[in-house]
Parts: sequence; structure tokens; C-alpha cells
Amino acid sequence: MNNNSTWEFGTRQVVYGAIGAALYGALSWATNFFPLPAAGNITFRPAVAVLIFFGVAYGPIVGLLAGFIGNTLGDMISGFGFYWNWSLGNGLMGMVPGLVMAAITDFKDRSQIIKAVGWGALGIAVGMLFASLTEMFVGGIDLSTALVGYFTPAFIGNLVVTAILLPILMIAFAGVAARRGR
Amino acid sequence: MLVTWKYRPRNTFIQSLDPRTRFILLACIIFALTIPEIWDYRILISLFLFSLTQFLMARIEWKDIRRPLFFISILVFFIIGLNGLLSGRGGPSSVADPNSPILFQALIPGTTWGLTVTISKLWFAMNQVIRILSMALPAILIPYTIDPNIYGTAFKQLRASDQVAFTMDLAFRFLPTFARDLTITMDAQRARGYEMDKLKGGLIAKIRKLAPLIIPVTMQSTVTGEEVIDAMDLRAFGTAPRTWLKNLKYAPRDYFVIGLGVAIFITCCVLKWGFGIGGFFVPDFFTNALVG
Repeated sequence: MNNNSTWEFGTRQVVYGAIGAALYGALSWATNFFPLPAAGNITFRPAVAVLIFFGVAYGPIVGLLAGFIGNTLGDMISGFGFYWNWSLGNGLMGMVPGLVMAAITDFKDRSQIIKAVGWGALGIAVGMLFASLTEMFVGGIDLSTALVGYFTPAFIGNLVVTAILLPILMIAFAGVAARRGR
Repeated sequence: MLVTWKYRPRNTFIQSLDPRTRFILLACIIFALTIPEIWDYRILISLFLFSLTQFLMARIEWKDIRRPLFFISILVFFIIGLNGLLSGRGGPSSVADPNSPILFQALIPGTTWGLTVTISKLWFAMNQVIRILSMALPAILIPYTIDPNIYGTAFKQLRASDQVAFTMDLAFRFLPTFARDLTITMDAQRARGYEMDKLKGGLIAKIRKLAPLIIPVTMQSTVTGEEVIDAMDLRAFGTAPRTWLKNLKYAPRDYFVIGLGVAIFITCCVLKWGFGIGGFFVPDFFTNALVG
């Protein structure tokens, strides 16, 4: 399934970057209609699992494009405008798990699924930390608000969703890829 | 549940501008406020009025804009404004001036811990709200006033690579398709007894129950992707620079607006680093109005 070099940017990355972005945008928007209740200001975005999956399956360039453009699209169809730091944070959230692409050879293998979830968690941490910390310069908030009010809820919510949905996506993808033969 | 773009053609000056001009102007406003760290109310109010003018000139209907404005107002006033008012942190150190007159204080008895609202913190909170709105108002306009079909061209002509510009263009085209697939999948699952509106069980069970909706759409999209890759490879995508159907051209008004944006950025930098103007301070009229 993964026979491309990690940083290649060809037709495959263009197409899956666009598909990942459109899916991320559409799912983010759709789940606004069915919000999952949670404690405090923690919100769950199931679309994040799809973003991490695209990173793991197709590499860091696809993850970066899908996260950056997808978040921009989701904000745009909701009418919220454009917030570069959150879009870039989402891009990083997709890019970091993409670094493990070359190591994922069997999407059904338990250890490789755990590895993917671990890299997904790292991606969420890096991406949300970037977005939260840059909010200090953009929004003028202080470090504790950035960490407690922005980073922690986003990290926990996204991690829970990824830990649950990413393994299901990977196993389903293994079946689809086997049938497709490439 | 159909994806509808917020964009509508309107005969306004804002929409007559090249989309690249709009992105450059937005970047100039954000950079002007954040890079030299402007907190002087005179500059903040000037930039806020500039952004508000753009917002009003776009003539977006109230029914279209009220929902996002409501959410952004909550964020700005309650999270950012109250944070500034109560903690006073996040801005320059002068906000926490210990000599600033106290407006309100509630301390835990026997300690020096508690809540202290000073004139300085109140002024900072107000400045912070204005500063954020100055950056948010032009950003909110973008989806309402730029045709979604020209983002790819705009980014290409902003010197992005063909790959990046094409990714952007394809994403905009795929979005309504996947939103429609999502609706079809939801209807199909509902016909099988899947209750999307009433997800039962704990949090983990609820998230797991989203799988019958998310998995089919995602997997179908990966199959679609292979077909699109084949089509693009057959047309030799990536072997040479592409030509684009649409071609954007700057008009004199675009040069004027870009010049204005660059001038704002340079002025803020020169004022702050050249003349020391732009830092945070509480004006006397504000202090006198509150404490006499």
C-alpha cells in the first residue's frame, strides 16, 4: 500500500490531499449538526480521526494539506472566516502522523495500529499546541489560558475520537486496499 | 443537508477587488498588529474602523452573518475579554501595573489571594476586544465575498506551486460531492434502523456509533481518488507547468488597496520601533472618568 517515498509530492498526494481536505471540511461541518455532549468546553470532532487516517495512509504532505485546507473549508462553509494559525495547527495535526506512513505496512496489524494511534496522539499534541500558543500572539491571551482553555480541551477531545475511530478506519482500509489490489 | 457556499455575487467595491488583494490586505492587518505588538488604543481604534469599513462595504445580509457573528462575539467578549479583565495577562507587562487604581477587589479573607480588577486591566480588556475584532472582521468576509471557484487560481497566481493550487481547487470541487455522499449514506443507514439523532450509550459508544456514517464515505472517497489519479496521470499532470483556465489581473484599485495595506504595516512598524509609539498605556481621560 505504501510504496511512495515519505515526502513525495506528486499526483497521488495532490488528489488525496484534496480528498482529505474535502472530507475533513464536510465531516467537521456535518458533525456541527450532531454535537456530541461532553464535560466543560471539550468538544469532539470525529473528523479528526479521518484527518489522522489520511496522514497515516498517504503521508505527511497529504496530512498537512488535508488539515490546513480542510479546516479552512470547514470554517468557510460555517461562515467563520479564515484563521491561519488554527488551519496551520490542523495541518500539523495531519502531517506528524504522516511521518509514520513508511512504517505502516499492514493496516490490520495490531502493533501497527497502536503505532499509528501513538503518532496520531503526537500529531494532535503538536498541532493543537501550535494553534493554542500562536493564539497568545494573535489573540493576546496568556500562557495558562492557551494551555488550559484552548489546548487541553482540544487535545483530549481529539485524542478520544482518534483512539476510537482510527483503528476502525485502518481495518476498513485494509479490506478496501486488498480488493483494489494497490 | 446540502453544502451551500456563503458566497453571493454582489455589486460592491470589496467584491470588485482581486482575491489576491484581499488575502494580502488581511495579512497586512494581522502582521501590523502582531509583529510590532501594537496595543496603543489610538492605532487600535484606527485599524478597527478600517476593518469595520470593509465589513460594512461588503454589504452582507444580516440573516447570513448573524450566526457566525454571534459565535465570534461570545469568543471575543467572554473568553478573551474576560480573561484580559480578570487576569490582565497575555499583554504587555505594564497591564499588571501595581499602582493602577483598583475598581473592584474580592480577596479570600486573611490572604492576598483573590480577584482584583484595576483600571489598567479594564482598559487592556477593551483594547484586546478591539484588537481581535480588527483582525476577525476582514477574515469573516472572505467566504461571503470570494467566489469559491477562483481560490485555486488565486493561490497559483500568488506563486503557490501547481500542486498546492490544484489541491486547493480540487478540494473546493470535492466538498459538495462528499457532503452529498454523507447525506446519502446517512439516509441509507437510517433505512437500516440507524438512529443518528438519538445516539445512545456512553461517550465511547456514541463515538463508535458514528463509524457506520464515517467509514463508508471515507472508504468510497479513497476509491474515487484512484480514479481521479488515473485521469490526471493520463493528462500528464506534474510533468510540466500547467496553464489555468481563469486568469486574474490586478486593476488600479488593487494596487491602491495593496499599497494601503503595506503602508499600514510599515507605519505600525516605524511607529513602534522608530518612535516608541504603539505600546500599552492607560490614557488619563479613562482613569479620570472612572476615579475622578
